[in-house]
Amino acid sequence: MIVLSNRTPDSKRNWTLSVILTISSLAMAAPLLWTLLLSLKPNDVLLRGTQTALSPPYTLRNYADILGHPAVFGWLLNSAIVSLAVTFGVLILSSLAGYGFARLRFPGRNVIFIIVLFGLAIPEQSVIIARHQMFTTLHLHNTYEGLIFPGLAAPFGVFLMAQYFRALPRELEEAAWLDNASHFKTFWCIVLPLSLPAQVTLGIFTFLSTWNDYWWPLISATNSEMYTLTVGVASSQMNFAQTNGLGFLMAQAVFASIPILVVYLIFQRYIVAGVSRAAA
Amino acid sequence: MRGRFACLAACTALLAISGCQHRSNDRLQITLQRFFGACDAEYGNSTNVAAAEGECGIITTLINEFNAQNPDLEVRVNVVYWPGYDQLSAELAAGDPPDLVTMHQSVISDYSQRHLIIPLEEGLRSVGIDAGGFTRVAREGVVRDGHIYALPFDNWAPLWHINMNLFRAAGLVSDGKPLLPHSPAELLQQARQFKRATGKPYLIQSMVNEPSAYARNLFTFLMQQNSDFFADPRHIKLQTPEARRVLELFKQIYDEGLTTKNQDYTAATSGFLNGQGGVYLVGTWMIGTYEQASKQTGSPLAGGYAVAPYPQLYPGRDATYADGHSWVVPKARRSRDKMHAIFRLLQFLRDNDYQWSRTGHLPAYKDVIDSQRWRSLPHRAEIAKLVEIAEPLPSGVQRQFLIQQIISEEMESAITGQKSINTALADAERRVNDVLFNLL
Repeated sequence: MIVLSNRTPDSKRNWTLSVILTISSLAMAAPLLWTLLLSLKPNDVLLRGTQTALSPPYTLRNYADILGHPAVFGWLLNSAIVSLAVTFGVLILSSLAGYGFARLRFPGRNVIFIIVLFGLAIPEQSVIIARHQMFTTLHLHNTYEGLIFPGLAAPFGVFLMAQYFRALPRELEEAAWLDNASHFKTFWCIVLPLSLPAQVTLGIFTFLSTWNDYWWPLISATNSEMYTLTVGVASSQMNFAQTNGLGFLMAQAVFASIPILVVYLIFQRYIVAGVSRAAA
Repeated sequence: MRGRFACLAACTALLAISGCQHRSNDRLQITLQRFFGACDAEYGNSTNVAAAEGECGIITTLINEFNAQNPDLEVRVNVVYWPGYDQLSAELAAGDPPDLVTMHQSVISDYSQRHLIIPLEEGLRSVGIDAGGFTRVAREGVVRDGHIYALPFDNWAPLWHINMNLFRAAGLVSDGKPLLPHSPAELLQQARQFKRATGKPYLIQSMVNEPSAYARNLFTFLMQQNSDFFADPRHIKLQTPEARRVLELFKQIYDEGLTTKNQDYTAATSGFLNGQGGVYLVGTWMIGTYEQASKQTGSPLAGGYAVAPYPQLYPGRDATYADGHSWVVPKARRSRDKMHAIFRLLQFLRDNDYQWSRTGHLPAYKDVIDSQRWRSLPHRAEIAKLVEIAEPLPSGVQRQFLIQQIISEEMESAITGQKSINTALADAERRVNDVLFNLL
């Protein structure tokens, strides 16, 4: 009896918590489910009203149309190349820079670190014209380099990695130096493997933000062969406000999110750990 | 974990290698940049223009047909998100513009004033396109400072799309034709009669997040009152009795519940299909969609769809605001061969203006308007008088998209009661004039 009375408030609390979490989850998932349902409806039916998405019949026609629209695969390829290249580039540069700021002593280190951190406070919009002109001069528009290079400047990555390296015990590196290891060897063999959790966090966030980037690709990759998926899908809208072809557009959106879903499924454990680590 | 990273790295390298492959092509390339969307799944390989439907279908098959007819040329199409001017501006800034671009006639001044697009009269003459064949409204739309800056493709205007089934129920049909009002008072009287009989609002309007519909209504009814609100293209006058009359009319319609409320463009578009009201105020481009619906049994529009230009509500003159689509050539260094190829394509597009007019837009050429085959298309006879009454804003007015947006925001505030009409008109006038004053 005593045990039961102890459990009852907990059970009620758990039940209440479950209800709140279920409702919150449904609210979070609703736009995604809505997109999925719209993608499974014929376009002419959706024209009469999107509420028709809630009832059958459903069709895979919109997905079949994607397969008949070869440009989508080119955009997918472009997004993959750019996102992966930016991700690896940011990981390499941020790790090296972060280690330098965390461990090496050189004149002006703190000043340069502060200058790098200023990058966190400067919105992309404020430098976009200057950057566009610079890339024009360098003939980098409509190239992969043009899409990749801006993403490599990642002050957040440098900051994250520097903070992570600072938190590592110095004794580990000192032990390596006693064994005659150089700075780079210490970095490569000792420090870098230990920083894997931070690398995963940074890598995932960089990949996701690059994959979803719209504005820079819109004005740099103006040739449709160089479109990334975000720009390509937007360009496919058939008319003003997409009153026609809504199902096709939603199917493209679902299709575009598949790679992100795959990344999430593979790295699920690391993403959860990374988010909580970043929050901490 | 390391294995996964290695695998990802290998995939990146493979993708990069495959992405860097060049394609060889001996044909002279023309880059055409357009909106109207992508529909390659349905029309990507089709050259059957006559069988194509809708803006996207018709333009896609037209370009396919041109490519098939001209083995020495290749038109490479860049589809951009509507309206695509951000991309065009970026391309011009980068010195890498496309060869041919779709442009609203209301936007031409923004580019012609800065010499970013080139005059076309000589080139058009070289391929036998006679500017004398343009309709008046098309000509007004593409001429700036005496030069033709674009090949007109169509004109469009807002129209009254009418649910005849509901009009019949409201007793607003005579001899099979809709009874339309001839004054603001008659409009209110008919709208009330409609609502009493059907229980539905007379008007369907896109009123939320609407960038231009309010402005189109205002321009149209100001023109009908002979209000010269843009006497100076760099200064708008909106604090006038004429503008106040228009806003008071729409506010009364709103206050009496004679219009749908809180609908955006998509909701209003489907609302008309679902029979939510009597008249939908939207452009020529919806004629095809609603005509199709009128042939479907079970549709609220079945056997009961009509369309008409805006009725003349004021005694000044019969007029409707109009815009149009056109083709411009951005300024860039090009060979003579390429310029000639561009004009061959323009000639092809001009020759196929009838096909394009099947979208619902008004043809830009007199011979097409006068042709029996155009007039025999559904509802074209009803809208043919647009050729005479359609009017763009004065050609010197720049930033028309932004002006429409500002006016729409202020009109929405006034009509929904967030601002007084006088304040909204004063704010609209000040904001528009700020924009025009700060032009380079």
